[in-house]
Amino acid sequence: MNRLKPAAPLLTLLPAMALVPVLIVTWTGLHGGGLSIWQQFLLGALHPSLEPDLLQAVWHGLGVTMATALLSWSLSLLFGVLLGSACADVVWRSWSLPTWPATGLRRGLAIPRAVHELVWGLLLLQVFGLHPYVAVAAIAIPYSALVARIWRDHLDSADHRPLDALISAGVHPVSALMTALNPGMGTVLMSYGGYRLECALRSATLLGVFGLGGLGTELQLTLQSLQFRELWTGLWVLAAVMLILEQLLRFWRERSGVGVHGQRRILLFGTLAIVLGVIGTFWLRHIVPDQFSGLSWIGMEVPSWTQLNAAATELPWLRMILETLGLTVLAAGIAIGLPPLALLLWPSPRWHRCCSMFWACMRWIPPPLMVLLLLLSNRPSLAIGALAIGLHNSGVMGRLLLEGLQQQSDLRQEALRAMGSSERISWLYGLLSPQSPSYLAYGAYRSDVILRETVVVGVIGGSGLGWQLLESLSSFHWAAVVLVLCCYCALTISGESLSDRCRSLWLQS
Amino acid sequence: MNVSLSGPRGDRLRSISLSVFEGERIALLGRSGAGKSTLLAIANGSLRVDKGEVRWRGASIRTMPRRNKREIGMLWQDLLLVEELSVGQNVNSGALGRHNLIWGLANLLFNVDQSACKHCLQRAGLDAGLIERGLIDAPIRQLSGGQRQRVALARLLRQQPQLILADEPIANLDPAIASELLDHLLNRAPEGPLNCGAKAIVISLHQPELVQRFDRVIGLQDGELVMDQPSEQLTAADLSRLYEAG
Repeated sequence: MNRLKPAAPLLTLLPAMALVPVLIVTWTGLHGGGLSIWQQFLLGALHPSLEPDLLQAVWHGLGVTMATALLSWSLSLLFGVLLGSACADVVWRSWSLPTWPATGLRRGLAIPRAVHELVWGLLLLQVFGLHPYVAVAAIAIPYSALVARIWRDHLDSADHRPLDALISAGVHPVSALMTALNPGMGTVLMSYGGYRLECALRSATLLGVFGLGGLGTELQLTLQSLQFRELWTGLWVLAAVMLILEQLLRFWRERSGVGVHGQRRILLFGTLAIVLGVIGTFWLRHIVPDQFSGLSWIGMEVPSWTQLNAAATELPWLRMILETLGLTVLAAGIAIGLPPLALLLWPSPRWHRCCSMFWACMRWIPPPLMVLLLLLSNRPSLAIGALAIGLHNSGVMGRLLLEGLQQQSDLRQEALRAMGSSERISWLYGLLSPQSPSYLAYGAYRSDVILRETVVVGVIGGSGLGWQLLESLSSFHWAAVVLVLCCYCALTISGESLSDRCRSLWLQS
Repeated sequence: MNVSLSGPRGDRLRSISLSVFEGERIALLGRSGAGKSTLLAIANGSLRVDKGEVRWRGASIRTMPRRNKREIGMLWQDLLLVEELSVGQNVNSGALGRHNLIWGLANLLFNVDQSACKHCLQRAGLDAGLIERGLIDAPIRQLSGGQRQRVALARLLRQQPQLILADEPIANLDPAIASELLDHLLNRAPEGPLNCGAKAIVISLHQPELVQRFDRVIGLQDGELVMDQPSEQLTAADLSRLYEAG
């Protein structure tokens, strides 16, 4: 037997092995009582409720969610670009300054980035009480740090020779940076910024599920009372909005890619982001005027050293960390492995269209709602949490894979087919192989996102650090909150570093 | 084969009718854009025609089962190697038509049938020392142009086709390597492709000076068949007419 050395296309499929334990546990945990509820749920999709009162409530909720998403997205782009520029080495070097402040800022931004928007939301809710700006800040804080990271990565990895030439010709650093680096950064801002708007809408819905208002709250209330026809009204509205947004962003990206100069792209996109942010602010004020009485400081008690020490010894750290990591590995396996496996099993365009629709549904349904749906017919377990996060993220990975495959030449696949290879094999070798390194690189990034998201289902599923965090927040046990947050940050920062290494390894290969 | 095509990429062939017989070594000549690559892609079944049909051993190539398709091997002009895979995995991809999905997956996990793979690389003219030093595990992108051409040839040999179609296989090679590669393709010696399964070979060329190595010459001009004769009857006047502006 030769040395095992899995090739890139096989590595995209191997993570799907996570499905085996997850499906076994899910299968053994099934209970018959939930089947009739599932039947009602599925039938509800065909007959969503159209009662005027409900439609009005959904419309109001959608308004709050969209306004929150727009405002938080606009703020995160603004702060993200500013912070990203401030922590880019190239910016400091163009002023002939040492780069250590940039390094320090970069490390500092790892903390807001490491904490999921839901955790920010729950924390801010405890400190400031229920206020529309709490949801906005909960999204804007981690998103600003995420945008800053991407912006800085692209700034520092861009070709610096034109910039050096301008600086050496005596051009002012600001003008030189704008002239030499901005054209390329326009594309980054457009594609990543657009993607962030989709994420902001998903996050705003998610925060609603946890009681911060908007469409998510409507979905949560209708699901808890098993009013599936009402639930489907909200889900269909959410699906329609997400679909329109995805198509609009794709249209914008495709149109802007042709013959528009980068500087103009940045200007246009920046203006649009600010305008949408202003619209979001006024919209939010218009929809929930009674809640705009100003933020009130409820406050938190700063834990003493003794309290911290006591909390450190009383909490089951090893179990919580292992549960969180187990959840991440299983969910990441499903998210990365399921899309290529599904496409490989039936490589026909009709099936691929079915997969595309399924993944769109997975993207639209927030993971906590999916957990609650799965719990209708199953016992709570780590596998249910992994399945929910995995399926939700497989929606994102599946779309990325299909888009990549569609943009790629199918000459190799045709060549293999002409050599007598089967449809599956020619798809695997001819289409999936060229796409594998970039898919795996994105998979590494997605795993990092999944590690952050474990907190979301942990809160519901009663497992891992997420559950402990919610318990500690509910009981105002601030010492435990601080320690769990520190542990969570350490885990996500380590995960981010590991995923960065994997990503660069795949991209270099 | 009797085919016509007006393709979306400007591919045009006008009612071409020709047959290839066992044992023939055919040179396909013509200016750039004359339709050589299109004709080979149609013969290989990867390009569909508007009118007419390609038949292999009496059966239509479109409805032919998979096991028969593997009897026609193609050496593509741009090689179409899978850059993300190793040399060995690329060579073995020639044998995918003879195996099932499990074998295809195993080939992505480790080097299956290593000896067959090495044998094909050697027959394609790759240095035995280089092969022993682990060339099989090397990524394709680390190879030179000549080496890549030979890996593509090894993949073709691994396929064990009855008919070899080669689209300008020596276009980007220096004269010494080009001549050597052509020798490998046309060799009727016991270790040459023609005596290892392939019954006939059709090669498109841009080097009319090499046609004497072939039995038959086919010439295309603006998608039309304008020449089909034994190579020994070919004159300089025929060639200059073929390469004149259409």
